[in-house]
Amino acid sequence: MAVAVDHHGHDAHDDHGNHEIPYAQQLKANRMGLWLFCLSEVFLFAALIGARFYLWGNTRPELNQELALITTCILLVSSIYMARAEAAAEHGDKKTFLNSLVITFVMGLIFLLGVVLFEWGLVPLGGEHHLKPTDGAYGAVFFAMTGMHAIHVVTGLIFIFIVWNNGRRDRYTTEKHWAVEACAVYWHYVDVIWIFFYPILYLIGTPFHL
Amino acid sequence: MSDSHSHEHAHAFDQQAAKESYGRITFYGIILAVLTLVEFILALNSNSLAGLMILALLKAVIVLNYFMHMYRLWRDDDHGHEGGHH
Repeated sequence: MAVAVDHHGHDAHDDHGNHEIPYAQQLKANRMGLWLFCLSEVFLFAALIGARFYLWGNTRPELNQELALITTCILLVSSIYMARAEAAAEHGDKKTFLNSLVITFVMGLIFLLGVVLFEWGLVPLGGEHHLKPTDGAYGAVFFAMTGMHAIHVVTGLIFIFIVWNNGRRDRYTTEKHWAVEACAVYWHYVDVIWIFFYPILYLIGTPFHL
Repeated sequence: MSDSHSHEHAHAFDQQAAKESYGRITFYGIILAVLTLVEFILALNSNSLAGLMILALLKAVIVLNYFMHMYRLWRDDDHGHEGGHH
């Protein structure tokens, strides 16, 4: 990485031979980077939402409403526990931090399995008809939206596991725990996407029986 | 006050502050759960695109502000300790 040099040939950052960027400055840059990444992903999800309204109009396929409500609540609870984990890291409450991360992980996994196994019809629920990717525009949009979201959930679960494992080894302090904050922001971001996907996929429009 | 006493006091203060944080998180979690139920009931009774989108926006704002701490982008603070002291 290039370092700015002043007229006297010294490092412009300081005159004490310390080339480290101050933590507060690094933290600010990290936050900006993560939020810009989230913003860039918004365009991807917005395109999927645009495709849904263009192709489905004011209709929607008949989907399992109860299952969708349950999985949505599970993801919401996982977000609450992630917020608790971050707050615990800020206050140095290691036990609550690790326990909350475990609960977040389990809830996230249940959400993922609920969507992939039951909503996608890998495990049929009560012999009802399940949407397939080959079911025209309905199937294509539904699987593209839930599939793209599921990939982000998987990434989040891997992130949570890494942070939990590092937390277990006391790698974070109350002053320095950027990875925890980043993991929390990412997980809440996945939740925010679902906050919009849930009504757009399951609630808006007249049900259309395939 | 001795070192051990001040340490115990700081620890107790942290516990109290942590409890307050957890309480706040639970409060916003309950609001989110209620809004999700309102969303579901609204969808069952009327097909209001605007109503459902407003509810989704409201939920997103709560998560962005209280869980994701978006405001930290414009503040010079460290992890949850507003004021930027190190």
